[in-house]
Amino acid sequence: MSSTVCPRLSPAGSATSRLLVGFRKWYYNACGFNKLGLMRDDTINEDSDVKEAIRRLPEQVYNDRMFRLKRALDLSMKQQILPKDQWTKYEEDVYYLEPYLEEVIHERKEKEEWAKN
Amino acid sequence: SMKSKTRLGDGLLVASLENYSPVSKIGVFVKAGSRYETAENLGVTHILRLASNLTTKGASAFRICHGLEAVGASLSVTSSREHMVYSLDCLRDDFDGVTEYLINVTTAPDFRPWELSDLLPRVKIDKAVADQSPQIGVLEKLHEAAYKNALSNSLYCPDHMVGKISVDHLQQFFANNYTSARMALVGLGVSHAALMKVGEQFFSTHTGAAAPGAVYRGGELRVQSGGGLVHALLACEGAAAGSAEANAFSVLQRVLGVGPHVKRGSNITSKLSQGITKATAQPFDVSATAFSATYSDSGLFGVYIISQADSVINAAMAQVIAVAEGRLTADDLTRAKTQLMADYLMSLESSEGLLEELGVQVLSSGTYSSPQTVTQSIDSVTSSDVVKAAKKFVESKKTMSCYGHLANTPFVDEL
Repeated sequence: MSSTVCPRLSPAGSATSRLLVGFRKWYYNACGFNKLGLMRDDTINEDSDVKEAIRRLPEQVYNDRMFRLKRALDLSMKQQILPKDQWTKYEEDVYYLEPYLEEVIHERKEKEEWAKN
Repeated sequence: SMKSKTRLGDGLLVASLENYSPVSKIGVFVKAGSRYETAENLGVTHILRLASNLTTKGASAFRICHGLEAVGASLSVTSSREHMVYSLDCLRDDFDGVTEYLINVTTAPDFRPWELSDLLPRVKIDKAVADQSPQIGVLEKLHEAAYKNALSNSLYCPDHMVGKISVDHLQQFFANNYTSARMALVGLGVSHAALMKVGEQFFSTHTGAAAPGAVYRGGELRVQSGGGLVHALLACEGAAAGSAEANAFSVLQRVLGVGPHVKRGSNITSKLSQGITKATAQPFDVSATAFSATYSDSGLFGVYIISQADSVINAAMAQVIAVAEGRLTADDLTRAKTQLMADYLMSLESSEGLLEELGVQVLSSGTYSSPQTVTQSIDSVTSSDVVKAAKKFVESKKTMSCYGHLANTPFVDEL
């Protein structure tokens, strides 16, 4: 969904980067999953690579993910959203799954390279 | 064959023996056996023994496995109470390509949590196989009963630690023990220059920690189990490896008998076997043998008996007492010395035996004694040395571990 939007440390005072960040924030809020209390990596489509990356998450991170998903499903069933102060903020969103997912994809590519020869 | 040995600046010992073989065998010997485990991380060496194929900083687990297999090489780990040994076999021409895997595994493992939890079934299988073997059980229990610390640690992960060894335990044990000063890089069938180049890549940023000496206490552990046999191992504190006393104990071991030298023979030369045949008519395992184990600062010496009868242990003790009282003929002594020398030299015939001997000697003492030196020191053992060793066994505080049907087995203080 919004996997192309990524935070970037903007160099101090650059006008273009302030525009870009502004756009990104607007896009993040427009997506709407933050109103259900979710983070970006909670919404990622679970293919086999993602499933393996989720298996490798440390216990605490995994439990937090499960909690957010359950809460969002519950809200969705009740056709409600969280009160505004509990929405996930753009600055607070942590891409926790990204390092694990990169590692999984790297390993898969290594296996495929090896199998080619 | 040319032997060379150097100590690098960071303390790593590099030794090689060029035997012009088409196969190269490289071993990394680390002072990281189970004696260096602490109370908090019991079982960590068992995990490390199984973790040699896991991802390292320089190569993923996949690449290590496939890289080695692609050239027909093999990497294996064995560990004893004192040393962890990583040995790599490969064809001489492939030597340069595979050493990176060995270096990665011994200096830079990643210890990823999910790979470690995948090791758990293998730990359980190892333990289940060990539980099935009374010999392993009786040896582990002997060490547990004989020492207060260090050498009393088991080679296997204790039940309460299965699944509880964490990444932190592993990293800490690794930092404390896998330092260059505690490692030796040994090669057979490689040029010394090539091995030195490999040795220079063994940089280690870890500092290491001091380890306590082993304290002998003497005790008894008995395990009741089913079955008709009793496995009993009775030992006293022996001598440290490499000392003259250790040689005397080894000769005494051969005097008493270490198992038949002729297949299906009646083991005439074994004093233990002959003494026990006179004592009991019931069948007993012919490997009523003398047992000897030596470590860097201590050792164990005794008798290992497998039998059904209860008078066998006393008969075995009587044989040792006989030697202690001086009833040792010159023939017995010569025969025992010859057998010991032959056994030692034959163990050096295989490349595994030679690598192990080279590595353990280099790591423990910093030098390698040639087979001639070793056989000479065996030859210099006198009859009075052997009698003294037997007296030490008779008079010192003994340890016993038994396993099996123990209804009629005497306790160590009743012997």
